Amino acid sequence: MKITTVLAAGLTVMAAFTSATACSSADGSPASTKELHKLVFIQGVAGDGFYVSMKCGIEAEAKKLGATVTTQGPAKFDPTLQTPIVQSVVASHPDAILIAPTDISAMQTPIAQAKAAGIKVVLVDTTLKDPSVAVSSVSSDNLGGGKAAFKAIKQLAPTGGKVLTVSVQPGISTADDRTRGFSQAAKADPAYKDLGVQYDQNDPAKAAQIVTAALQKDPDIVGIFATNLFSAEGAATGVRQAGRQKQVKIVGFDADPAQVSALKEGTVQALVAQQPQTIGVEGVKQAVAALKGKTTTSSIKTGFSIINRDNLDSTGQAAIYKTSC
Amino acid sequence: MSSTSTVGHGADQLEGEPEPTRLGKIMKFQNLRTLLVLLAIMTIFTALDPSTFLTAFNIRGIVVNTSILAVLGVGTTLVLITGGIDLSVGSVLVFSGVVADKAMVAAGGQGWGATTLGIAVACVSGLAWGLLNGVLVAKAKVPPLIVTLGTLGAALGLAQIITNGLDLRNAPTVLVQTIGTGNLIGQLPFLSVIAALVVVIGIVLLHRTRFGLHTYAIGSNAEAGRRVGLRVDRHLILVYALAGLLAGFGGLLNLAFFQSTTIGGQSSTNLNVIAGAVIGGTSVLGGVGTIFGTVLGLFIPAVLQNGFVITGIQPFWQQVVVGAVLIAAVYLDQRKRANGSPGKLWSSLLTRSTPTTSTARKADSR
Repeated sequence: MKITTVLAAGLTVMAAFTSATACSSADGSPASTKELHKLVFIQGVAGDGFYVSMKCGIEAEAKKLGATVTTQGPAKFDPTLQTPIVQSVVASHPDAILIAPTDISAMQTPIAQAKAAGIKVVLVDTTLKDPSVAVSSVSSDNLGGGKAAFKAIKQLAPTGGKVLTVSVQPGISTADDRTRGFSQAAKADPAYKDLGVQYDQNDPAKAAQIVTAALQKDPDIVGIFATNLFSAEGAATGVRQAGRQKQVKIVGFDADPAQVSALKEGTVQALVAQQPQTIGVEGVKQAVAALKGKTTTSSIKTGFSIINRDNLDSTGQAAIYKTSC
Repeated sequence: MSSTSTVGHGADQLEGEPEPTRLGKIMKFQNLRTLLVLLAIMTIFTALDPSTFLTAFNIRGIVVNTSILAVLGVGTTLVLITGGIDLSVGSVLVFSGVVADKAMVAAGGQGWGATTLGIAVACVSGLAWGLLNGVLVAKAKVPPLIVTLGTLGAALGLAQIITNGLDLRNAPTVLVQTIGTGNLIGQLPFLSVIAALVVVIGIVLLHRTRFGLHTYAIGSNAEAGRRVGLRVDRHLILVYALAGLLAGFGGLLNLAFFQSTTIGGQSSTNLNVIAGAVIGGTSVLGGVGTIFGTVLGLFIPAVLQNGFVITGIQPFWQQVVVGAVLIAAVYLDQRKRANGSPGKLWSSLLTRSTPTTSTARKADSR
């Protein structure tokens, strides 16, 4: 008896659903709210200083251009988590999506679906195997960033020696380019020996283990290039555990407050900072241009700022990533 | 001699008795509760954003995104019902995807030949890991938590050794265009049809065959099962092997869907599937659970995430709400157990064995 009542209630709810669908499909989208462009920013990972700074840039520029922005991001940098978010965002039919894809091939189909639904896509930071689904790709010149990181190590350890790269995981276009740029520059200089790249799956503890083990194998490492925040934090921990702070120079990529304090403490000797706010600003400009039917630039590369202890309190200050807007 | 007669009698009981009506009622009630929670969540999101949430595109998306988890959920539900646990499914999925990818590349071509080989290789690889889990649990008597924690690391590590940590992306075109992203008819995704088929087979296996009945019996009280003549060890091996097989098949589906082996992306798949099963009313203490419940349970986190994204709520909230739903589900499960309904049910089913008390069951289920 009880069960039948509950079942009846359930059926009523379902009936309500069906009528709701009928209504919504009949209504369509009202034309009155079309003046404000609706943008969605899908981060590579939520709560990361880099993407928070990008969000700040995006929100500021959107406000200027008369668009609204909501921001979503997966809890981890992971295509299996980002895919359902993209699908849900596409269902909500924004005018444009700015997205940092978490995998060059896995995110291709979900983002192509967004385009097929008539949504303008701008790729920010990372890219896709076939970036032509997007009206524009805005990112740091990561190859140049890797070369800049080698230059920074060269300044810190001018006598030469072995250099190691610690990166997140293969398949992330930005990190792959930074690694390649670094390795090209290191191989071009006969004073240095490139030990190649080790992957830490974005886990600082694993990065620390890798660096400790690498120092066991090659005690004469002079420089480590850590391609992202967690890798740098882990590498710094690993070097500290091995007690080699004086000998091993670490150059980090990105400039979150945690890395900046590591720089202040002397565990990291230099940071190659991207310009996430500029990426965000350029991304919004491209999205809005596409929505207004204007021409867009298919690829935009942004530059870097090198932060070290000398410029930290002066020119380097503005390059530090934000934790909130 | 007396033990032989007990065996015969117990087996008769198990075979002869059809699905007990009380059991059926409890199962249905449990699923109805999960269904109502799901419908309530959907009603809220529909009310918040009617023009977006309840659209064919969106519902299709939610269903597709839950399909692979549902395939894994069938195996996990069976394992949980035996009182065990399988933490290795995500890693076995990755490993199977990797070896299937390698096999398909070796076979060459973008057609059905390579795809069929890939399906076979993925299933065999999953089956092998499942058998290893099962033998270690049943014969070597290593607790399932430890066994599958070990194979979780081992399978993922081997996948990384084979690939150097680089995701493989060589799914044949025909695989991607049909199973991965294709529709069977209209807006009905191929992937979800396959998952639904697996779920239906699982439901029949669990609720309509002796295999299923034995699975419940072992999870409810392994010792009693042994005394009435069930081949408990062999059955456990079969259950873990099946879970492995499904994880292997899931690996192929995953490869087709993401066109990537997603090596770094499956670290919490096991827990997501277990959470879905538990929300759907499967008990981690064993003896209780339904596959349909698990499927419903898997939809709750998926719908929550979807709805939160659509309504623009910070996505971190999804984890908080799913956590709360999970604990609430287990609380209700515990209360029901304290009332003794499943315990009474099983002691009445296995009348000739010692009456099952809830403490005995707990001690037994490890």
